[in-house]
Order: sequence, then structure tokens, then C-alpha cells
Amino acid sequence: MASNPPADGAKAPTPTNDSLPLRRSDFRTLADALDYAAQGEKGFNFHDARADLVRAYPYRELAADARRHAAHFIAEGVKPGDRIALIAETGPGFAAAFFGAIYAAALPVPLPLPTSFGGRDAYVDQIRVQLTSCDPLMLLSPPGLHDIVKDAATGLCAAHDWEQWFAGEAPAVDLPQPLPTDIAYLQYSSGSTRFPHGVAVTHEALLANLSAHATCTHAALDDRVISWLPWYHDMGLVGCMLAPMANQISVDYLATADFARRPLSWLTLISRNPANSLSYSPTFGYDICARRISPSIPVAERYDLSRWRVAGNGADMIRPEVMQAFVDTFAPAGFKASAFLPSYGLAEATLAVTIMPVGEGIQCDLIDERTLSGASADARADQRLPTRYRAIVNCGKAVPGMTIEVRDEAGHVLPDRKIGRVFVKGLGIMAGYFRDPEATEACLKDGWLDTGDMAYLKDGSLFIVGRAKDMIIINGKNHWPQDIEWAIEQLPGFKAGDIAAFSITTPSGEEAPAVLVQCRTSDNDERVKLREAIKSKVKAITGMSCVVELVPPRTLPRTSSGKLSRSKARLQYLSGEIQPFEVAA
Amino acid sequence: MTDRASVYARIIELIEPLNSKKVPLTEATTFAGDMEMDSLTVMDLVASMEDEWDIMIPLNMLPDLETIGQVADAVTGLVAKKG
Repeated sequence: MASNPPADGAKAPTPTNDSLPLRRSDFRTLADALDYAAQGEKGFNFHDARADLVRAYPYRELAADARRHAAHFIAEGVKPGDRIALIAETGPGFAAAFFGAIYAAALPVPLPLPTSFGGRDAYVDQIRVQLTSCDPLMLLSPPGLHDIVKDAATGLCAAHDWEQWFAGEAPAVDLPQPLPTDIAYLQYSSGSTRFPHGVAVTHEALLANLSAHATCTHAALDDRVISWLPWYHDMGLVGCMLAPMANQISVDYLATADFARRPLSWLTLISRNPANSLSYSPTFGYDICARRISPSIPVAERYDLSRWRVAGNGADMIRPEVMQAFVDTFAPAGFKASAFLPSYGLAEATLAVTIMPVGEGIQCDLIDERTLSGASADARADQRLPTRYRAIVNCGKAVPGMTIEVRDEAGHVLPDRKIGRVFVKGLGIMAGYFRDPEATEACLKDGWLDTGDMAYLKDGSLFIVGRAKDMIIINGKNHWPQDIEWAIEQLPGFKAGDIAAFSITTPSGEEAPAVLVQCRTSDNDERVKLREAIKSKVKAITGMSCVVELVPPRTLPRTSSGKLSRSKARLQYLSGEIQPFEVAA
Repeated sequence: MTDRASVYARIIELIEPLNSKKVPLTEATTFAGDMEMDSLTVMDLVASMEDEWDIMIPLNMLPDLETIGQVADAVTGLVAKKG
């Protein structure tokens, strides 16, 4: 972004309204959607960490740049269906390259940015694994990151800085006409770092979901989207970049790294928007904003959140107590609790599966914790202990075109209020995982997608109880137990099956990763050393600090087919059935 | 007052409240490994250093900064470049 100084006159943001009639994503392809949006005055607006406008980028300019980029791609031999990997920096460079690939009927593949101090090797490794999976013709990155990511591409594909690569005259070429049933892009927000799955989404599925999204949020005149969500995640890319473009809405962006430094700039952008704001965040985004407000900050004077029409919740477990803290903190600035809009979705379903009706806010059921952990009624140990309830958030009803079933382990459809696995079918479901028929078959049968998530239905509304795909979500970032287990397997003497990683809930309600490791040594000093070695290995490879417990050999539970059962290991650990060794440091 | 030594000393002061594990802070202390800082805490620290010296620490520098000493070098460099 910093490398793109604003052109003269670009200091005015794109307007919220213009004379172009609104169309709700009723296009054949994403390219058609951009062609239409380019006829209006709206577009993307990029802001710096202090929420000041750096660059207005109307859809018209984006479309023109993207057509030039497509010509470059085609002249260089890019064919329909080829993959173009792109480091997803929030800015005009990525947007133009993404849509350039779309116009060339190639598949853009957004890849992540580095997020913290250190970890160069882990980052390069992650990009390398994803490049291996999507097998692209080239990797393009912002100039500043080229030096780092070119190492990841060595021996796999060409790597270029996109400013240089797109410089120069574009030749005149005919653009291909993709079909609605063609794959539009690949997404790597699903799947683990070590064993990634590229979610392949067709134009048709994408646009159906974007249309449903616009219908459910009542997207209309006077709406403007504000976003800091990363473009390498479905909520950021699909929800806050593709959706506003395909529904002709202007967007104000804050880069994710800038949000992480100065989260309150997000609320500044919303306050400055004279029109209605639509803005989404995982739980932790609301959490850090509320925590940043000290009593000395005059909330009512500094912020005006009264026109925040839709404050979307999603991408992780919605925590009602955090949302209440946000309401308590920002009510003086006019924030309305009814603006909260819970939703449930996943990349495999393009984005949204359910959305709450607008204006109803967060509604919860209180459920006995023991019911949630799967204990049967008679197994409830001590009746004298007080019952602990957990608030389960209503995530709303299926978006138009999507059907939901909750099934038991044998695959039978369960009645209302019974907890089981969520299956979804309909217009937005992915075509499959890229070049991975085995993984696709494991979750997609007869058009039904096994989400792996646990929930119950009540009068058509979905209540998510847990993300059972063993996923560990920390600060909105998905972590996969496979990656932790793989890290430990890199130490001498450990093999798959010795190790079970899962998430536990800390007393403050946050998720934390824990790992049980079968250990054969009985010597305390050896165990101390081993535990430290495991901790630092996991930290070095995954970046996470993990609770490490050593357990006796052959204690980790298996499924009937002999595979390690992480969910059973978790239950047995929490219930005390698995007793870790005491390790005295 | 922006020589390497004073930058280092001030960085230590800025880290102290975030050092929840009370790890001894030296040139070689690492943010992820030793202090176990998560990325949000790190970005918090980045923001306070940017405010302190009125600099901008670009995202592409972060992957190469593992230790407090390396961060002190980077900040000293950025401050010098600002002139």
C-alpha cells in the first residue's frame, strides 16, 4: 500500500451511493460482476494505521488494471485453469492481480502474510507447502515481501514482485470467457498448515452465496462496508472484498497488521462513515477494542457507532460475554446491541451457511455443560455439584439456497434440539478440494458437505456447540492439531499415534492448545527435558505455546478403525480418565 | 537520545509490562520462544515502539526479528533513516 502513492485527486473516497442500479450478485461470473461494478463510481478505499485515506481505488480503475494484468498473464502463456499464487496484502496490488487472474480465467490463490516477530523459516515453509499443493505457474508478491517469499518458490514456480511483473505495455489479447461452472479461485484458509486443502469454488457457487449474503444483510442504498479482515481468509476475501464488489458497495479498508497495532482505528473508520456501516469481526476483534478503552478515553466524544447497522459475528465461536462487554463499553458511543449479526459458515460452503435475521442481535440458549461434553444423563457423577451452564449462540437460519441437516454418528437425521454433526447442501458448496479426491470424498457425498461441526437445530435456527473438526481457534486464527502433532514427530523417538493435540477452554473462556504425548521414560529429569523439548519444537514450528502433558504408553484412545481419536482423548483428559505423569521441574 | 543503547534501554521498559512470564530480558531473548508472546501482544509492542520514535516498522521486517537485540538494531536503523 505504501508503495502506491495516491494519484492526483485520489484523496477523495469513493462514494457510498451512485446512479448505477444495484444488482445483487446476479452475474454469470466474477468477471461479469466486476465489469458491472466498474460502470459506477464506487470502489475500495485503503487507509493507513491512523485511519487516514491513502488511496481510493474505484471499481472502474480496478477493472482497467485487472484487464491489463490479464493481458500480461495471457501473453506470458497463462492458460485457463492455471493457478496464480498471490500474497494477499490488503491493497490495490493484490486486488488488481486477483481480478487479472479472473479475467484471464486463471485461478488466483491468495496466500497469507507474515504476522509477527520472527518465524521467517516457518512462514517460508508454510508458503512452500501451499505452493506445492496448488502447483501454480507463478507466485506474485508485493515488492517488500519478494525477498522472503522467493525462497519459498525455489524449485516450484517462478516468483516475481508484482509491480515489476506488471510494468510495461500490455499486449492486445482476447480475454477468455469462463463458464459459471468453472472454478473461480482456490482458498487455503481451510486445512492445516502442514496438510493444506485448497478449497475450489465455482463462479456460480460464489455468486449464489454472495447474493444470499446481500439478501440476508438487507444490503441497500446508504450501506458501506468497513473491514480489516485479511484477504487470505474467507470472511475477509469473500465477505469483505468479493461480496461488496459483486453487490456494488464501497469499502473502507484497514490492513490487518494495522488493525493489530491500532484496533481502535477500525472504530474510527466506522465513526467517520456518515452512512450505514456493515462490518464483521471474529470475537477477538470486539474483545481487543473493548479492552483498549481505558476510563480516561471519552468514548461518547471520540466515537459515533450509532450508524453501525450490521456488526457481524463469525469465523470463530461467538462468546456472548465478550460481546456484552463490547456493548457496555461502546453504548455511550451509540452502539446498539441489536446491530450484532451472528452467522455460521466455512470456506467449504464459500462463506455463509446461516445468518441471524438483521436486528435481532445475539440470542442464546443456556445448556448444561455435561450435555455438551456428551455425557449421558445417568453418567452425571455428583448430583450435589452445581450445574454449569454454557451459553450457546443462535447463529440464525440457512441462507437462501442452503439446506441444513444435523445427523447422528450413524448418519440418521436428528430431530430438533438434538446435538449432532452439521451437514449442508446447496448453491454455495465448494466443487471439492483441489487435486485431492480422497479428502473431497471424505467430506462431500451426494452434494452434502460434512462440516465436521457440532450443533443442534431449533425451529430452523442453528446453534453451534463446537467446531468438532478438532480445529483450535486462537485469536481468530485456525490451528490444526495435525500441525502440532507433526511438529512433535520431528523430534527423535516419536511417531504418529503417540501424540494427541486438541483445544481446551481456559477458565477465562478462551481456547488454548493442549497436547498429550505418550512417553516411555520413567526418569523425572528425562521427562522435564522431554517436555521442554516438545514445547520449544511446537513453538518453533507452529508459533503456539502449548500445554504439554506426558502420559503413559497406550493410554491414547482409538476409534473403531484404529485411528487416534482426538475428541475422545480430550474428553478423557478433561474428565481425569487419562492421568498425565507428574513432572517436577 | 536515539543511540543504540538508549533505544535498547527504552525497548526493555516497553517490553516489561508485556513480559507476563517474567523472563530475564537480554539482547538474545526471543519474543516467541522465550517470552511466549502471541502475535497480538507483539503488534501491541510494535505500536508502542512506533509511537515512541514516530517511525513505521514495515510488516516485511518482522519475520527476521527474533530477538530483542535484533529489534533494537532495526529500530535504531529506522530512527537514523528518519534523520
